[in-house]
Amino acid sequence: MIEFANASVTYPGGVKALRDVDLKIDDGEMVVIVGLSGAGKSTLIRAVNGLVKVTGGDVRVDGESVPNASDAELRALRSKIGMIFQGFNLVKRTSVLNNVLMGRLYETATWRTLLGRYPAADVELAMRALERVEIVEKAYVRASNLSGGQQQRVAIARALAQEPTIFLADEPVASLDPPTSHVVMRDLQRINHELGMTVIVNLHFLDLARMYGERLIGLRDGEVVFDGSGEEADESVFESIYGRSLTADDVLGEPAPDEDAAEVAP
Amino acid sequence: MSATDAGTVAPQRPTKPRPSPMRYVAVGVVALLTWLAASDLTGIGLVSRLQRTFADGIPDRTAEIFDQILSPDWSILGATVDPFLETLAMAVLGTLLGCSLALLVAFGASAITAGGRKRLAGTRSIMSVIRSVPDVMWALVFVSAVGTGTISGLLALVLFNIGVVAKLLSETIDAVDTGPLEAADAAGAGIIARARTAVFPQVLPNYLAFSLYAFEINVRASAVLGLVGAGGIGQLLLFFRNRFDYDRVSLVVVEIFVFVFLTELLSITLRRRLTE
Repeated sequence: MIEFANASVTYPGGVKALRDVDLKIDDGEMVVIVGLSGAGKSTLIRAVNGLVKVTGGDVRVDGESVPNASDAELRALRSKIGMIFQGFNLVKRTSVLNNVLMGRLYETATWRTLLGRYPAADVELAMRALERVEIVEKAYVRASNLSGGQQQRVAIARALAQEPTIFLADEPVASLDPPTSHVVMRDLQRINHELGMTVIVNLHFLDLARMYGERLIGLRDGEVVFDGSGEEADESVFESIYGRSLTADDVLGEPAPDEDAAEVAP
Repeated sequence: MSATDAGTVAPQRPTKPRPSPMRYVAVGVVALLTWLAASDLTGIGLVSRLQRTFADGIPDRTAEIFDQILSPDWSILGATVDPFLETLAMAVLGTLLGCSLALLVAFGASAITAGGRKRLAGTRSIMSVIRSVPDVMWALVFVSAVGTGTISGLLALVLFNIGVVAKLLSETIDAVDTGPLEAADAAGAGIIARARTAVFPQVLPNYLAFSLYAFEINVRASAVLGLVGAGGIGQLLLFFRNRFDYDRVSLVVVEIFVFVFLTELLSITLRRRLTE
């Protein structure tokens, strides 16, 4: 369980990114966080694994306080939390497999990492993670040779290789085209449904948010202004989250492709 | 209706600003400094020296030395092979050792990978000290400490390479894409693991290019280091010079030139491939 208790983040320079956030996210939930850019979505998600430290209040993951964890405790905590990013954050000059193996860094002995000799079990784990996102045939290709959508799926595999219980996704589809966005969102949905991981996704497209978010949290100026199910969130709710009327830019605008269509055709 | 027609009031074109009078002052200052440096106020005394040369003509001894330099003594070519190999070995080993150590130092000298301000400040100050001492000075220090010979030259090259390569590489690390670092942190990686997996692959081509560049410098430097007793071809050069065998000095210089030229050619070709 993830708990935010009166959590605030003030960046050096005085920008208040989170203000007194109180939240409880149960194990196995699929949560989408929406809000304009600058509303504090990235800060909120990074507070969970301590990439951003809360400056007030507390964030607890499975009862353990993130801001008060020692370096070693924080690393142990992070190893159980997978994360993907808007810019994929792959090492482009190395192979897909090496990138996925980065998910094993916490468990791997330092000398093995230095020599690049990972245990066979870890390689197997990485390969299975690549199979899950259906990109295993690219295992020995340089990451720079992949398309954006493929890179994001490699990033998902890297996070899966950690065998985490929580999966964070910070604007995972913001640099992708609409069809690829749906592919990645479906992957996240499957991770939640099939593997039972808690998934927290930042999005700014309201149609994607409504489609995939079983629970929807609206942020505005660092404050939680909505917390409810995806069905409850109608246009007026989004207008209150965004603080303005909606425009065409707020929707991805492409319906999810029907997965069964290809199989139905003779 | 043309574009210049009235009706739309175009904003007035600005007049070209006057050049600052400071430029004349700057030229004047540079000219004055040059004149002062060449005058008899300094030890060079270039002006009076030139005046004397014009009055008396070029001294015989100078002409004789130039004659000798222009006709290298090819008969001793065979005798220069061993010292030359010594110099080459010094350059190769110096590059390998120096660049390996520089790799470690560089990670400690970048804010991204150092892991703590104290370590960063410590590494950087050690690097400054190493770099502020010229390679020839290092050679002199080691010649006094461990005696004349190639080991002193080697040690000098190692320190010199750490200074140069660690500096260049740490600046490359500073400019690396930090996305993968964030990913490594999020996965709970330790400081060594994240440096190895998220940073090293990104800077590897640069590192190899810097190492080749270091080798290039080493070939040249190892010739000079011999002059202070650090072995190799430079020591032979010093020996001939002390005996005023300028035709032999000239041969060694020609050899060094050819050798340095070839290494540079090789290094440039390889480096171009690396950074492509």
